[in-house]
Amino acid sequence: MPVLECKELCKVYGRIPALDRVSLTVEPGRIVGLLGPNGSGKTTLIKVANGLLTPEAGYISVCGFAPGRESRAQVSYLPERTAIPTWMTAVQLLDFYGDFYADFRRDAAIEMLEHLNIQPRQSIRQMSKGTREKVQLIMVMSRAARLYLLDEPIGGVDPATRDYILSTIIGNYNPDAAVILSTHLIADVEKVLDDVIFINQGQVVLQSSVDEIREEKGMSVDALFREVFKC
Amino acid sequence: MRWEFSNDAPIYTQLIQQIKVGIVAGVFPPGERLPSVRDLATEAGVNPNTMQRALAELERDGLVYSQRTAGRFVTEDKEMIRRAKRSLAERHIKTFLEAMLRLGFQREEIIALLRQELEEEKEYAGTGM
Amino acid sequence: MLRKLVKHEFRATGRVMLPMYLILLVTAVGANISGRGLIGSSYWILDTLAVLVVMAFGFAIAGACLLAFLLMIQRFYKNLLQDEGYLMMTLPVSIHQHIWAKLIVSTVWFILTILAIIISAMVVAYDVGFLSEFFNELLKLLHGFLKLNAGEAVNGVVVLIEGIALIFLAMAAFSLQFYAALAVGHSFANHKLLTSVGCFFAIQFVMQFATGAFFVSADRFGFFRFMNRWSPTPIVAVHVGMLMLIAGTVIYGAIFYGITTFFLKRRLNLE
Repeated sequence: MPVLECKELCKVYGRIPALDRVSLTVEPGRIVGLLGPNGSGKTTLIKVANGLLTPEAGYISVCGFAPGRESRAQVSYLPERTAIPTWMTAVQLLDFYGDFYADFRRDAAIEMLEHLNIQPRQSIRQMSKGTREKVQLIMVMSRAARLYLLDEPIGGVDPATRDYILSTIIGNYNPDAAVILSTHLIADVEKVLDDVIFINQGQVVLQSSVDEIREEKGMSVDALFREVFKC
Repeated sequence: MRWEFSNDAPIYTQLIQQIKVGIVAGVFPPGERLPSVRDLATEAGVNPNTMQRALAELERDGLVYSQRTAGRFVTEDKEMIRRAKRSLAERHIKTFLEAMLRLGFQREEIIALLRQELEEEKEYAGTGM
Repeated sequence: MLRKLVKHEFRATGRVMLPMYLILLVTAVGANISGRGLIGSSYWILDTLAVLVVMAFGFAIAGACLLAFLLMIQRFYKNLLQDEGYLMMTLPVSIHQHIWAKLIVSTVWFILTILAIIISAMVVAYDVGFLSEFFNELLKLLHGFLKLNAGEAVNGVVVLIEGIALIFLAMAAFSLQFYAALAVGHSFANHKLLTSVGCFFAIQFVMQFATGAFFVSADRFGFFRFMNRWSPTPIVAVHVGMLMLIAGTVIYGAIFYGITTFFLKRRLNLE
């Protein structure tokens, strides 16, 4: 059973289409890159899959459910902004995640906090923007979810942390779970991905595996992206 | 082991090459157990499925064999490793020759240059440089 | 899950409300001391200080009420519909549980605020004689109760329960009206907050209109004539009145609850 399935999905902001008849399938065991220029609909698609936006038309199924309470128990979502309450400390956040998610691995989270030298007793408010993003990502990656929806996980962090995040994603690999991550930093994530989905102006332009692209076009996904989205 | 990737070839073929080099160079000695797919993927910074595919390919070639529960091992067949070494060398020579021919060198000139270069290296080694 | 939501909601709000109650208590103690001869003292500094402390107590009362009210709106708005909504609205809990958690916690804070104000007022008024007087009155009241016959006692207790229930329900319905307005306003693509304010007044207008229409039609169907002809005893009339108020409040609240859940479930559009 696919962990994410969309058929003819449409979402409109006012009159501007943000998603235009999007159809795609993501199977478990895949790490998928959702790639596209700014404003192409990446975030919109991820938010619809989380039930934060209501689509106008089409079908979407997440782990076999319409976005809602049942799907949310199996989806680990990293929003593109800081959503964790800033008055909490990292420790309070551990309690919070542990209370609500049965699949939360507190030990893994503590280990990652230590590895990235984050003070667990400091309040989120006092942390730098980059550290806040790290804390949020640690909470998300510490769950044993069936689908990880990561919206720009490597956008706002330094290259060393970027490597750490990507190796966390690899180390966390589970053949029953899928990871979908949106980014425009393609060169950095290319080696980590199974498949890529190119999305532009709300439409899926291309869905292929990374090695297929390299084999058939003789170029990296990054190079292909630059060609497809040439300004 | 250093892992480096170019942009023009599929990642799994590059992985096959680099693991072969690792085996030939003794980073993965004959008969030794290879690290798990997950560990190798994490080390190389690549997708675990891609690593799995590369290892499966190596297994088909016989350089690597798997034991159901214990994991994957490097072959103990020294002759096979020698052949792999030889084929890697041939590939390097081929690309070298292609590049030299593109630069306009004749076969004899190439051999002469190569000999000269090797002599110089020997001298450096002799002077302890 | 509701229990956990409530727990975390208390954690989030307690760190605001409890210090406020502390301020209330401290200013109350200050006002009490000021009342014991500082005001009207021949030293002008002491006199001004005393007046300021008493004023501070007044502000603390107003502040506590305002804070409980603003916190009720802010928690719903900021925690569910702003950035934190990305976290809260993706928890594996239902919309009903979210609304109930917010409702329970804000109602509890309303009640606690009332109690805190009563207690701090007692602190201000406290002197050596006060407590004994207070308990004397309470005792007299109890004594009075004992003299009542069974019917009167039962009726009195029931009216009291009805009154408390009404207060709880009215507070919940009050909160729900704000929730409904915010939920409707935030289903729009633009000007979410402005639309929410507009929705609040629109809901207010519609509900008043509906209430008016209800009474007019009740009159037409002869309800008041029936009441006149029935001419119940005063205590029965009180019960009927209370129960009607309670029923009305429940209907109000249920309508707002329905609007809120519908829009958060089916029309959610976090920006």
